[in-house]
Amino acid sequence: MAELSDKAREEFLSEAQEIIETFSRNLLSLDASLKAGISDPSLINEAFRAVHTLKGLAGLFGAVRLGALSHRLEDVLDDLRLGRVDLGQNVLDVLFGAIDAYTRILKAEKSESDEELDLDVLFAELERIGAGATVKESPVADYELEPGLLAVLTEYEEHRLRANIDLQMRLYRLRVQFDLNTIDKVLEEMKERAKRHGEIITYLPTGEATSADMIELDLLMASRDDLATLIGSLGSDNVVIEEIPRRPRRSADPGTLPPRRPTAMGRQESEGLPRDLERAGFEPTASLRSLTQTVRVDIRKLDHLMNIVGELAIVRSAFGRVAEKLRGEGHRKLAAELQRLHRNFDRRLGEMQDGILEVRMVPLGQVFDRLARVVRQISREVGKEIRLVITGAETEIDKLIVEELSDPLMHMIRNAIDHGIEAGQRRVEVGKPLAGTIALNAFQKGNHVMIEIEDDGRGIDLTGLTEKAITLGTLTRSEAEEMSRDEMLALIFLPGLSTRESADDVSGRGVGMDIVKTNISKLGGVIDVHSESGIGTKMTITLPITLAIVSALLIQAGKHTLAIPLSSVSEAIAFDEAAVRQVDGREVITLRGQTLPLCRLDRLMGLEVAPDVLVRRRFVVVAALGQRRLGLVVDFLYGQEDIVIKPLGKSLSGVRGFAGATELGDQRVGLVLDAAGLIEEVLAGADAPRSLERANG
Amino acid sequence: MVNVTQSAASRLARRIGDRGPVREFLMFSLAGDLYGVELTRIKEILSPPPITMVPRAPRNVIGVCSVRGLLVTVIDLRRTLRLEERPLTRRARILLGVAESGEAIGLLVDEVRHVVRLAATEIEPAATALGGDISEFVLGIGRPAGEFLILLDLPSVVAG
Repeated sequence: MAELSDKAREEFLSEAQEIIETFSRNLLSLDASLKAGISDPSLINEAFRAVHTLKGLAGLFGAVRLGALSHRLEDVLDDLRLGRVDLGQNVLDVLFGAIDAYTRILKAEKSESDEELDLDVLFAELERIGAGATVKESPVADYELEPGLLAVLTEYEEHRLRANIDLQMRLYRLRVQFDLNTIDKVLEEMKERAKRHGEIITYLPTGEATSADMIELDLLMASRDDLATLIGSLGSDNVVIEEIPRRPRRSADPGTLPPRRPTAMGRQESEGLPRDLERAGFEPTASLRSLTQTVRVDIRKLDHLMNIVGELAIVRSAFGRVAEKLRGEGHRKLAAELQRLHRNFDRRLGEMQDGILEVRMVPLGQVFDRLARVVRQISREVGKEIRLVITGAETEIDKLIVEELSDPLMHMIRNAIDHGIEAGQRRVEVGKPLAGTIALNAFQKGNHVMIEIEDDGRGIDLTGLTEKAITLGTLTRSEAEEMSRDEMLALIFLPGLSTRESADDVSGRGVGMDIVKTNISKLGGVIDVHSESGIGTKMTITLPITLAIVSALLIQAGKHTLAIPLSSVSEAIAFDEAAVRQVDGREVITLRGQTLPLCRLDRLMGLEVAPDVLVRRRFVVVAALGQRRLGLVVDFLYGQEDIVIKPLGKSLSGVRGFAGATELGDQRVGLVLDAAGLIEEVLAGADAPRSLERANG
Repeated sequence: MVNVTQSAASRLARRIGDRGPVREFLMFSLAGDLYGVELTRIKEILSPPPITMVPRAPRNVIGVCSVRGLLVTVIDLRRTLRLEERPLTRRARILLGVAESGEAIGLLVDEVRHVVRLAATEIEPAATALGGDISEFVLGIGRPAGEFLILLDLPSVVAG
């Protein structure tokens, strides 16, 4: 290991990580197909390939533990692949356990620690599965059939093969030479004649014809008759018939595999590697080369590039100003030329920006896969059957957001399983299907990505929730009585609230949703909750697509020039002081028949008021996130600009209402409003009873 | 507060050691008094760029500014040290440093003088006469050639 460069090691670790994720996805698909009652050999083959590649990698990089686990796993998967072991939930449990073990091993490799990881239990379980192989042998595996052949069988052909084997038929291989001119007729005749003895299941070209106008086919045939009878009936100069022998039964000792013999079709199967991989030159050592199309980049490097783009955008504006100046001073020709360059520069810069943004985008599937694993694990732990339905896994979002999403989503899923989905018995009683459904939907909506987590459980118990809040002293009874349904639902985001009485392993410790909400707002997102008693709960997360660069509306409030991300602005309208009404002590206006709460930015922020503000026309910028809208009263609109948001330093981290700062050109810095935070602050502050406000603040 | 001062002073004493190695301080003036910060903590001296006020910020933070693309939190030392506030003069400077959190910090001062080298014997623990209000920010008192130099502890100033 010592001679390996850090870079190579990093490459190795992240590739291993990717393969493990692929493996995990395979297992999830297997789990799903198993539940649906379908057996799909290609899934097992894929899992086998992933582990095989990992074993090769581990060997190359001297990662002993990784190699040892992969090796044992490969054996089990090989048994599964060849049908020596039946795939069941118990086997899958052990395989999922292997993913946890892989994760631990990788973590140890990353920190280069040699700590004992205690994989013995897992190894013993893998061993146990292998030992069970003799008992549960599947009939197809009894024959020395080539995996390559099994892989190309259609579903019907495979079904016929199994059916014939179940009927105790013998299997034969007929190698037949056909004249290309007459093959159609002759093949039909063969099939017809074969019917008397059994059934031709499939035929494959061998690619080994003796002359150019001949073709050689291998026919797989099942028959109750013996070899001699068949040769007598079907044999000729052009037909060679062989019986496909049964495999010797495995000995009881799981440690020794039967020696591999040349298969009936005359080709040597090599080292358990599926033939299609072999053909593609996919040797273990080739796996490093296989990914040379991909470059892994530290996201900070992309941030750096994005900063440069941001500074170039400032240069671009300066170009524009110089061009204007030239025109003003009468250098029309030069000005036009510079204007053209400016436009060109502008376009290219835009392309570059889009390019960098695109690199940062990753599909949400990355985090969804992890969640699917969690769902499986928890549902087994708590003994509830859960069907997870994922849509929109291909929806793309900024890499940084994906990283931060994992924990909040996991919390929400845990809550859905533990609090939402009823126990199986109860579900049946109320006429729901035994298996609870959790839907995880993602889709893009304008500049936002929406993620919905929906369960068909019991819904949020509003009475229980308010009672708990009253018990905890966050709410008085009279306050509770005045609350609207939505306000009650919002109680789940208060610290310390959980409607389940017992604290258990999964959730119910009451530390979930407030943290979830905080984490989501840090990403510039909001959560909306909908819940119907007895029908289910749906949480909708609205997130910006990227954090790196955003289109923003530049506004003036007091003496401040502020930026507000366009993604959270729905429109801007002229402000009419006379239209303002007071509702529940809050200023509102009516916009197209709907009440819009107002927030005077200068007052909220304690901004210095510009002297001419009383006479000037002002504007209302309507900030909208999810279901919530807030009208920000501002003094002036400058227009739209692409900005790079830089986070405020640590000593300003406690300042609410701002997402960061950005350069405005001329060396000036403008603050960027945190629309989600403002909406939260203003609406929660006015909406909820005072005690609630305190809890939020 | 007294405890903080004493520990800051003893920290300093320990660092200087018995042999009394010489340390360099950047000397600047603020409301008529002379102050010093350890030179190694200052990366750059800047003429103040336009500073954007941050509403709701802690009292000692004036706002933020940009130095070649780097976002800097500007701390008004006058406010930190409870001194009377005055508009900036043309001699005003920002001392650019980096806090332990990685945050870029600019200290706004009235005027930068020069660098002084102080031996351990020329530094004494902060006098209680400075008042409890600001003693938490003071590392000690430097007395080079009869002058009176208040040595500031930058991390405490940043923590505000």
